[in-house]
Amino acid sequence: MLFWVIAAILTLGASLAVLLPLAGGSKGASAAGDHDLEVYRDQLSELDRDAARGLIQPAEAEEARAEIARRILRLGNADPAAKAVGPSTTTRLVATVAVLAVPLISWGFYSELGSPDLPSQPLSARLAKNPADSSVDELVARAEAHLAANPSDGRGWDVLAPIYLRMQRFPDAVGAYRNAIRLDGESAARQAGLGEAIANAAGGIVSAEAQDAFEAALKLDPANPKANFYLAMGLAQEGRVPEAVAAWQKMLGTLPQDSLWRGAVEQALAESANKPVAAGEPAKGPDAGEVDAASSMSPQDRQAMIETMVAGLDEKLRQDPRNAEGWMQLVRSYVVLGKADQARDALNRGIAVFGPDSEEARKFTAFATSLGLTATE
Amino acid sequence: MTRKQKRLSVIVAGLAFLGAATGLTFYALGQKASYFYMPADLTAASVQPGQRIRLGGLVEKGTIQRGQGATVAFSVTDTQKSVKVMYTGILPDLFREQQGVITEGSFGPDGVFVADSVLAKHDESYMPKEVADGLKAKGVWQESKSE
Amino acid sequence: MVETGHFALVLSFALALVQTLVPLFGARTGNPRMMAVGGPVAVTGFALTAFSFAALATAYASSDFSVASVWENSHSLQPLIYKITGTWGNHEGSMLLWVLILTFFGALVAVFGGNLPATLRANVLAVQGAIGATFFLFILTTSNPFARLNPAPIEGRDLNPILQDLGLAVHPPLLYLGYVGFSICFSFSVAALIEGRIDASWARWVRPWTLVAWMFLTGGIAMGSYWAYYELGWGGFWFWDPVENASFMPWLAGTALLHSAIVMEKRSALKIWTLLLAILTFSLSLLGTFLVRSGVLTSVHAFATDPTRGVFILCILTLFIGGSLALFALRSSRLTAGGLFHPISREGALVLNNLFLTTATATVLVGTLYPLALEAVTGDKISVGAPFFDLTFGPLMLPLLAIVPFGPLLAWKRGDVFAAAQRLMAAFALALAAVLVTALFVDGASVFAALGVGLAVWLVCGALTDLAVKSGAGSVAPAIMLRRFAGLPRSVFGTALAHLGLGLTLLGIVGTLSFGAEKILSMRAGETIELSGHTLRFEGLYPAQGPNYSEDRGRFALLGADGSTISEITSAKRFYPVRQMTTTESGIKTIGFSQLYLSLGDEATDGSVVVRLWWKPLVTLIWGGGLVMMAGAAMSLMDRRLRVGAPSRRRKPTGAVPSAGLP
Repeated sequence: MLFWVIAAILTLGASLAVLLPLAGGSKGASAAGDHDLEVYRDQLSELDRDAARGLIQPAEAEEARAEIARRILRLGNADPAAKAVGPSTTTRLVATVAVLAVPLISWGFYSELGSPDLPSQPLSARLAKNPADSSVDELVARAEAHLAANPSDGRGWDVLAPIYLRMQRFPDAVGAYRNAIRLDGESAARQAGLGEAIANAAGGIVSAEAQDAFEAALKLDPANPKANFYLAMGLAQEGRVPEAVAAWQKMLGTLPQDSLWRGAVEQALAESANKPVAAGEPAKGPDAGEVDAASSMSPQDRQAMIETMVAGLDEKLRQDPRNAEGWMQLVRSYVVLGKADQARDALNRGIAVFGPDSEEARKFTAFATSLGLTATE
Repeated sequence: MTRKQKRLSVIVAGLAFLGAATGLTFYALGQKASYFYMPADLTAASVQPGQRIRLGGLVEKGTIQRGQGATVAFSVTDTQKSVKVMYTGILPDLFREQQGVITEGSFGPDGVFVADSVLAKHDESYMPKEVADGLKAKGVWQESKSE
Repeated sequence: MVETGHFALVLSFALALVQTLVPLFGARTGNPRMMAVGGPVAVTGFALTAFSFAALATAYASSDFSVASVWENSHSLQPLIYKITGTWGNHEGSMLLWVLILTFFGALVAVFGGNLPATLRANVLAVQGAIGATFFLFILTTSNPFARLNPAPIEGRDLNPILQDLGLAVHPPLLYLGYVGFSICFSFSVAALIEGRIDASWARWVRPWTLVAWMFLTGGIAMGSYWAYYELGWGGFWFWDPVENASFMPWLAGTALLHSAIVMEKRSALKIWTLLLAILTFSLSLLGTFLVRSGVLTSVHAFATDPTRGVFILCILTLFIGGSLALFALRSSRLTAGGLFHPISREGALVLNNLFLTTATATVLVGTLYPLALEAVTGDKISVGAPFFDLTFGPLMLPLLAIVPFGPLLAWKRGDVFAAAQRLMAAFALALAAVLVTALFVDGASVFAALGVGLAVWLVCGALTDLAVKSGAGSVAPAIMLRRFAGLPRSVFGTALAHLGLGLTLLGIVGTLSFGAEKILSMRAGETIELSGHTLRFEGLYPAQGPNYSEDRGRFALLGADGSTISEITSAKRFYPVRQMTTTESGIKTIGFSQLYLSLGDEATDGSVVVRLWWKPLVTLIWGGGLVMMAGAAMSLMDRRLRVGAPSRRRKPTGAVPSAGLP
């Protein structure tokens, strides 16, 4: 409303700027010649001052004075003063058109271009308004702004981390959980959340890093369902399906009847029964639920994403091969993807890096055997 | 000299001056302008060693080698051909693998392009125009949706 | 607030249309009421545009991401100062600044032009309104800074980091004040052509406006050059980049205009030429705007490019340049030519100045446009850089600079070169001494370098000679001389200062290019580097955190002769996460007029860092000379302050008013 009032006042002001001169009395414009005469007179007095100051020679001054005088004389022949005022009907017509043009053009154009209903939204005001009215994005932005100013507020990170997780911002969630753990110490929920964030950031694969986090959570709370669930998922992804099934079944026995995890566990069990080697099925907790990015992807996309990641790991190992953990992860990933040949190739390459008699080679072989893979065909 | 002759001589002097300036300008354009090439164009156009040109393309992946001190070697490619470039100095901030780049310099007798200046794009949202046009012409690169 | 600003912008467009048509019609029919409309409308239009600009700046300052251009070019973590300067650090906002300055100059004509002949004033305001209307239309249809986003994003995409700098806060407004300032001269010229006559007051008006525009353009170019010098990390002050040329061409033409306007005002000669030059100067300003804004050229100035914008600006360009030149061709024969003069005279010297400057402008124009034309015609891509301009622009400038000191010492109508040469003997002797000293005592000085230094000294001493001669040095007693010196018209000081500044800039350029030194090497912490007698020790890289970037600062200690640390120089690699961009912050230490310039390269895996170090002797004089030139222009303006425009009938007694040079 205020906008329309201001717009109307501005339009009125602009129209008046056009109307008033047209309506006002004629001041009787002077002839152009008068102005020229003034200039020439001024030049003459300037000349006199310069001559008096000795800046020019008297002879030169005399010559210049004569020249200006000639110009003044020439003025007399110039055309007479401004013509008489034009017919008043034309004036009135032009005045009407001009005055009307201002509101018509401006309101016409603005109605095409403007968004009069959209208020200004300075960031500070958006962040200061009642949180209940804010969107999730705005709430997160507020929290981020707060944490940017107070980066050592552990509680803030603790609140933000699960929100990031739910918003699919997994790398941010990893950072937030790490900050919370660093500042406020470990807790089972934080460690389990960190593990979930790491696993989801990796497209659902429970990596060694995620496993560490889950194991740390279990140390603090052996019954933590999230950690148990994901660790079992990790086992399934390694191909150790019977162990995974055992772990899930144990969970079913201990979980309370109303636990949200029951559904997830049962689904995982059902899937593992159908497919002995779950094809890189991303781990999914119930609280990750509907908003899980991977679940909104088509199976093909998901598969492609995982393959890209595995290829990336392969590439990394080619450049930096002395990474035993990495080789095991790569072998496991190929097995999970059902690419036995490549898994075997990776295994052989890994063994070649460390030498067939090394500690690592034995570890690799044992690991491969546990996945149902042998080093040579 | 009569007044008319004086005026004539002033006009002739002015015209001679303008003529000299024009001649100089076009001479300089012929001598001092440096042509822009992509690696694949180089076989068609014969570029003499020592002739100043500008060479543009993408920095080929995995070819950046830092030599002694501040000397860097890398290859510039248009995905069809690539040319080895040597440069001594500080690379621009936005110099990265597989990014557009324009180098200016000349070929040495050994076929290595010795650059004395390397330009990368000014920000993350565009390629050097010549490189983008060249790559588009070769069907290698499509402009991403402008922001 | 945002929408009110948007509405005000639309309203300004409507007013600009009225400002174009009504006074023009009034001037044709001789209707004083219609002619009177121009003034109030111009002032109101300026007020509305200023309001609109303030609304946009507020949106930027308060990070209102519901405005598309704010979202694209700002970030909530940016320091407030860069939020505000970001208003014109993008295409849309900078175009709004452009029209703001245009309407500002229009309003100045309206306010101070009360004693201009009514028809001239009406026509000037009409032309000014026409330029405004087309640019308002351009902004509203292709580059609307007030386009909105709904729902609003919560965070912006940050300003291009290399624009997050104080240099950017100053450079565009100064440059635009220059570019757009020439629009007044253009409007006056077109108005004179429409009327078919040149009033005596016309000449009086064009001169101060040229001075104002020239002063700001000088500052804008100097500022831009300094910004590129320290922000881009290449250590160069001028690259002959097409975008730089785009601002340099109006400057060269404007300098010519400045000089021919003197002749016209004093002697009523060169009228038609001056008029043409005024049209050309502003046309080059428009061309510069087109080249920079259309995306024809890629550079740091070419923000997001959009072909419709290029076509629109090209249409504006054709309309105004083509229209005004056509009008010139039709009407210029109706204008009366002015007074006669001998080739050897002040006028002759100024004509020579114009000849050199316009030819130089033409070479820069050819060098800038030829690659574009060639690519359009044959598809060949070439670049025209420093070697071309060294060969063309250089030979044109050197003789011009050599004759500069003669100009002010020649009399009007018929001068005496020998008398002037005699007066310049001392300056010439000093310049010669400078050449000899440089050639003999400075290591590594080439003949060209020595001559360059001599030329610079010649310019500086020539400017001082002018002041001394006009004060009567040698012919009157020192006391009288001092009194005369104090009483000299300010424009005499202005001329001397501007020429002196030119000499200083030349000295800076010659010093940097001829005596500078450069070293590139890879350094580890603790190592030292020695260049031109200065020793630096690399102390190591230290991480640091800025508001919206993180950086690795390389610290260098400047060591004295005894090995103690005199001062510290810091150069940094900054990383801006939002745009994923790295910038180099050069480290600069000013020693006298010279500078040590240090730029950091990438860190190698072994912990060493590539360091590039320059010694740039006298480099600050390049921009210092620009400041002195600006001071000269300001001095000349003060001379004219009391009589901008035609004298009014209510003039104060004239005795107290200092006046300009010789008639």
